[in-house]
Amino acid sequence: MTPPDFLPTWPASANSFALFGLLLLAGVLGGRLAATTRVLPAITGYIATGFLLGPGGLRWLDAQTLADARVFADVSLGVIVFELGRRLDLEWARHDRWLLPMGLAESLVSLAAMFGLLRLLDVDALEAAVVATFGVATAPAVVLLVTRELRAEGPVTRRTLWHVALNNIVAILGLAILLPFIEARATGAPWNPIARSLWLVAGSFLLGLAGFGLMTQAARVVGKGTAPQFILAVAAILLTVGAAQALNLSILLALLVLGVAGRNLDRHHRLVEVRFGDAAELFFVVLFVLTGATLRPEQFGAVAWIGLAFVAARAAGKAVGLFACARPAHLTAKQAGTLALALTPLSGLAIGMTQPIFDVAPEFGARLAGIVASGIAILHLLGPIATRFALVRAGEGEPVARG
Amino acid sequence: MKPVLAFKASAPLTMGVELELMLLDTRGWNLAPDADDLLRRAAGESHGGELKPEITQSMIEINSAVHTAYPALLAELRGTRDVLARNARRMNVAIAGGGTHPFQKWSERRIYPTERFLSVSEKYGFLAKQFTVFGQHVHIGCASGDDAVYLNHALSRYVPHFIALAASSPFYQGVDTAFDSSRLSVVNAFPLAGTMPWSRDWAEFTAYFDKMHALGIVQSMKDFYWDVRPKPEYGTVEIRVCDTPLTVDRAAHIAAFAQALARELLDERRELSPDLYLVHSYNRFQACRHGLRGTLVDPASGATVTLRDDLHAILDRLVPHAQALGSGDALQALRASLYGGDDDNDAAWLRARLAQSATLPDVVRQQAARFMG
Repeated sequence: MTPPDFLPTWPASANSFALFGLLLLAGVLGGRLAATTRVLPAITGYIATGFLLGPGGLRWLDAQTLADARVFADVSLGVIVFELGRRLDLEWARHDRWLLPMGLAESLVSLAAMFGLLRLLDVDALEAAVVATFGVATAPAVVLLVTRELRAEGPVTRRTLWHVALNNIVAILGLAILLPFIEARATGAPWNPIARSLWLVAGSFLLGLAGFGLMTQAARVVGKGTAPQFILAVAAILLTVGAAQALNLSILLALLVLGVAGRNLDRHHRLVEVRFGDAAELFFVVLFVLTGATLRPEQFGAVAWIGLAFVAARAAGKAVGLFACARPAHLTAKQAGTLALALTPLSGLAIGMTQPIFDVAPEFGARLAGIVASGIAILHLLGPIATRFALVRAGEGEPVARG
Repeated sequence: MKPVLAFKASAPLTMGVELELMLLDTRGWNLAPDADDLLRRAAGESHGGELKPEITQSMIEINSAVHTAYPALLAELRGTRDVLARNARRMNVAIAGGGTHPFQKWSERRIYPTERFLSVSEKYGFLAKQFTVFGQHVHIGCASGDDAVYLNHALSRYVPHFIALAASSPFYQGVDTAFDSSRLSVVNAFPLAGTMPWSRDWAEFTAYFDKMHALGIVQSMKDFYWDVRPKPEYGTVEIRVCDTPLTVDRAAHIAAFAQALARELLDERRELSPDLYLVHSYNRFQACRHGLRGTLVDPASGATVTLRDDLHAILDRLVPHAQALGSGDALQALRASLYGGDDDNDAAWLRARLAQSATLPDVVRQQAARFMG
């Protein structure tokens, strides 16, 4: 018998609404399960759910579906990085003259430690430099979300977020410097790539500033009500994310500049502090479910020891950099220790610099991903737990599940 | 064991100030739980007096040293303020005066984990977190317990004056309360708030305290949250109704006013009667609600007068006392502020800022800038 023509063909094709809904539903259940352990942050539950649903698990999410959902992840990252930028008060570095040196020490010593380790393992110098530079960046999304979940606030939390912003900037600038060398090796022409780096960094920077200009001008008209200002912030974030995508710029850097400018250049105080609240949580769940879906079981297998060594070198480098500056910066040992631990989550390749490398040298990019894959996988599991433990240990977060 | 309520005599008319201050996050201008770190950092720098934690982690308290003259008190408070401001800036937090934080949510506060504060929290439940309000206490030295009891009662007529001069808490939990000092409404919720019961001398007061202790209601004088109370271990009378002003200068002016007033009251030794307290709650409400525009009822004559006019007359009367104490400038500054229009007290200043800037976080930002200098 022929089915009536008003019925859909089976299986019904997935669409983006159903996909968004599925990711949310699965993620929130996984997050809730993690939170009930009272040790794991909800993020770990989101990531585990993604892993379970993804190509490494039940394969409900295939590569195409993941690519389709990328837009949600980019918007989520935009919101997070904007909020991170809003916390970067440049005045602070003027009053605490050890703040910037400490951030640079943490970034550069960990860079040196990871580079040294990879060279010991006979990884090519340029590849080692690129991987180590990626390793400098702490995952802004993980740290900010754990902070929100714990409602953490206080000196360690404030410094953690400052370091996250700074080490992401160091990583982006470092990779922009390395990019010409990567392209030079791939194509043998070193001059064109410098323009590429300049386009990437200066372009993202200017885009962020343009977004800020637009936002403040619009704020003159919409006033200081929290509802219109919320919409204004979302609009500015979406516009900047979209423009960064269209112009092949770094979403992360552009949004970071947008946030930092909002905090530091708004001389007439036209912008109001916006709380993204539970609405933003929707996007964060999707971001981490998708992150989990990129994990593969084999990453935890035989090569994991390389990943573990990489993770250890990174953590040791960050700790050495921080402890070296702790005394002159008037930090207690406990504060420096919890700060080092809180910086554990690794951005991995999610800082918006992967694509330029793939663009100029696809094979090189693929090899890089292979080298750090297990380190990233390990830190996706350990990072959120470490940050949560650190902030609770610092006495700045409430170890009670939300909701 | 029953505590012995011995009054430790101190030099008459010496003064000291306690100021409770708010710590602020410089991003959204909400309260920041950074008391521990700020106290640790400031401890490494020299300043007069003492710095202490308060009931929740977003508060700290300055205790000044004992002073005989206003200029030294002012210099010390400014010095301590500078030490705190410098350290706060290094931590990316701000400090401000003001009796309440305009929009913080009391439920988000964290109790500072000392034995006393945890026991207060256990005893009073949600009132403890609601007690995240910020006051100025002024101590005036007394030669004896009898003097302290007299001065305690005599000062009660002036409680509204202190409230109106220091009022700086028009906003509470995100709304304009229509009060100049909303902070005292929070204090009123405590069962041992109010006024000291009528007593003629220290012996009579001690008998009252012993009864309350025997009934198990109080353990020490700290358990009384009165508007004015004797502080026998310091040898002082403590005026507790002032909101923390927005500047340390104003705090020092108010302390100088208390000192000059105490000098007059101790010189004149007025005949007091329990009728003082008939009008106390009414007059106090007028000051909290309307500030300097409030009206006072005089229990003796039955006459009514606005607080502003009464204060003007009192400040004129105190000129010789202020000159003798070296605080003429302070009282002159208070007198000048009485007719400052939109700026006559700190509550008016805060309301004017809201009218200009439209949001409470903007008000707090300006409040912090005013305090930190």
